[in-house]
Amino acid sequence: MRLWRRFKRNPEAPMLGAFVVLFFAFMLAPILIVVIVAFNDANFVAFPLRGYSLRWFYRIVEYRPFLDSFVVSLELAFASTLVACLLGVPASLALVRGRSRYANAIATFLLSPLAMPLIVLGLAFLFYLSALGLGVSFLSLLISHTVVGLPYIMRTVAGVYRGVSSDFEETASILGANRPQTFWYVTLPLIRPGIFAGALFSILISFDNLPISFFFGSAETNTLPVVMLSYIEHQFDPSIAALSAVQMLLAVFALLVVERIYGLKHMSAPT
Amino acid sequence: METMESMRRRRFMQAMAAAGAAVCMPLGGRHASAQGQTLTVTSYGGIWEKAIKECFVADFEKKNPGAKANVVLGGPAQWMGQVEANQANPPIHAIMNTVGLSLIAGRKGLVEKISAEKVPNLKDVPPRFAEVADWWGACFDYGSFGIAYHRDRVKNPPKSFAEFIDRTAKGEWMAGLPTISYPSTEQILIWSFSDILGGGVDNIDPFFKAADRMKKNILWWASVTDFLNQLDSGEIDIGMYWDGRTWAHYDSGAKHIAYVNPKEGGVMNPVVVQKPKNAPELAWKYIDSMFAPEPQAKFAEMLNYGVTNSKVVFNAKLKERITPWEQTRWPPFEKIAEKLPEWTERWNKEIGKKG
Repeated sequence: MRLWRRFKRNPEAPMLGAFVVLFFAFMLAPILIVVIVAFNDANFVAFPLRGYSLRWFYRIVEYRPFLDSFVVSLELAFASTLVACLLGVPASLALVRGRSRYANAIATFLLSPLAMPLIVLGLAFLFYLSALGLGVSFLSLLISHTVVGLPYIMRTVAGVYRGVSSDFEETASILGANRPQTFWYVTLPLIRPGIFAGALFSILISFDNLPISFFFGSAETNTLPVVMLSYIEHQFDPSIAALSAVQMLLAVFALLVVERIYGLKHMSAPT
Repeated sequence: METMESMRRRRFMQAMAAAGAAVCMPLGGRHASAQGQTLTVTSYGGIWEKAIKECFVADFEKKNPGAKANVVLGGPAQWMGQVEANQANPPIHAIMNTVGLSLIAGRKGLVEKISAEKVPNLKDVPPRFAEVADWWGACFDYGSFGIAYHRDRVKNPPKSFAEFIDRTAKGEWMAGLPTISYPSTEQILIWSFSDILGGGVDNIDPFFKAADRMKKNILWWASVTDFLNQLDSGEIDIGMYWDGRTWAHYDSGAKHIAYVNPKEGGVMNPVVVQKPKNAPELAWKYIDSMFAPEPQAKFAEMLNYGVTNSKVVFNAKLKERITPWEQTRWPPFEKIAEKLPEWTERWNKEIGKKG
C-alpha cells in the first residue's frame, strides 16, 4: 500500500529507477561476460560456459610476452606521468596566472594532442623521433606518451588552480615566504587534487594506449595492449578475457586505494 | 661580439643538451642491443610466436652458436612503418609481410632481393613463391581460403564457391564473409568471387552483384577471431575462412567445425619474409632457417598451414588438411594492389552501410 501511495504521488520515480537499472545492466553486461568467459575450461571462447577452470589466469604468467609487456606498460605509464607532471604543472601555473597575450595560444597548443587522432600522432612521432636518432626505443615511447598525458595534467591542474584565489600566495609573500616556499607550502597543497586527478588519467591513458605504442613496439618495448592485439588476432582462447579480468581488478583496486588514502571526491576540487 | 648574456645562454643550452643525452642514453640503449650477433625478427602473437621461436629461432641459434634472435610481436604494417622510418639502422632484421606490402617495400627500396646464394634452402622452394614477391623476399608459409561450417547446422555443405553463393542467396544459412577492413579481403573475396563468376581483376561487377544477392544472409567479420565467435555463438552457420585456422580451432576442442576445399580451389595467401636494407648479413642465415625442411615441417604441424620447401613431408593428418599449393588459385597480387583504392571506394559506396 505504501509503495502504491508513493507511486501515485510520484509516478516518474519508479520509471527512472527502472531506466537506471537497465542502463547499468546494459553497461555492465559485456564486462561481466568477459569476466565469466575467463573462467572457461574450454580451449576457445564459448558462452555459456561448459566447465570452470583457472587455467587461463595461469596462462597470463606462463606466456612471457604478457608479463614482459605488462611490466613495460607499468614503467611507461608511471614514467610518462612523472615527466608530464614535471612539465605540465609549472606550465599550468604560468598560463593561469600569466598575463602574456600568447597564454591562450600556448595553452591550446599544449592541449592539442587531445584533439588529434592518436594514430596520426603515433605515425608522426615514429618518423620524427626516428629522424632525431631515437628510433624504436623506450625513450621514444616515453616522449610520445608524455605528450599524450600532458593535456590531462594541464587541464586538471589549471582547472583547480583557476579556482584558487591569488590572495593565498600574496599573503604568503607578504608574510616573508620566497617563491619556492610559497609554491611548496601554499600552492602545491592547494593544487594537489588537480595533480592527483590528472596523474591518474595520464596513467590510465598511457596504460591503455594502443595507437601510439603500436608504432614503437620492439622485442624489449612492446606494451600490453600491442601484445594483446597481436595475440587476439591470431589465437582464439580465453586468456585475453582472463587478462582483461585481471586488468579490471587492478583498476578497481587502484580506485579503492585512492578512495581510502585520498578520497575520490577530493580529486575534482581543492579541499 | 658576443655578450655575456648570450654566452651564458649558450652554456646553459649546452649543459641542458648534455644532461638530456645522459638521461636519454640508457633508455635509448634498449634498442642498440639489436646489433651484431643479435637479430630482431618478427612474429604474430599467440601460437605463431611459439611456433616461430620453437621452429625457426631455435634452428637459427643452433646452427649459429653465439647468435641470438629476439622476436617482436605485431603486424606487417607496424613493422613496415618502423623500417621505413629507420632505413639506415632498421630496428627489424627479418620482416614477415603480406605479398602486397612486400612488393611495396621492394619498390620503395626498403628491402633487399633474395637469392639461393644468400639463402641456400631457397633452392628447394618452388620459384613461384619468390616470383610472387618479385624476389623482394620469398614465401615460407601459406594458407588457403575456402569454406568453414558448423557440422550440426549445415548437414550438406557446399562443394564449391558458386554453390555457396547460390545457397546463401536462397537463405539456406547465415554466412560470414570478411569485410573490407580485413587485410586480404580484396584478394580472398572480391577478386575470388569475380574470378569464379566470369569477371576478374578488371571487372569486379560479378562480386558486387553476388554480394547484393546474398546481402540479407551475410554477417561480415573483421578479424579471424570474429568469425569463430560468430560461428560458435550461432550468429552464422557457415562462411569463408582459412584452412589452418579451421583445423587449429578443431584441435582446440571445437569438434563442430569443418572445412571444405572448394572445387574452384581455395585462394592462396602466402606469408613473405624479407630482409630490410642495412640489416646485418646474419639475417640471411635466420631466413635460411625459415626455409629449412625440418623447422618448416614442425611449423606446419603446429599451425596446420602449408609450408613451401618441397622437401617437407607431411604426416597423414596434415596431408589431409593442408591444401597443396598447386591446387590453390593465385590472385594477381600486384594488379590487385593497384586497384585497391578504387575497390575500397566502391565497397564503401555499395556495401559500406552493411560492411
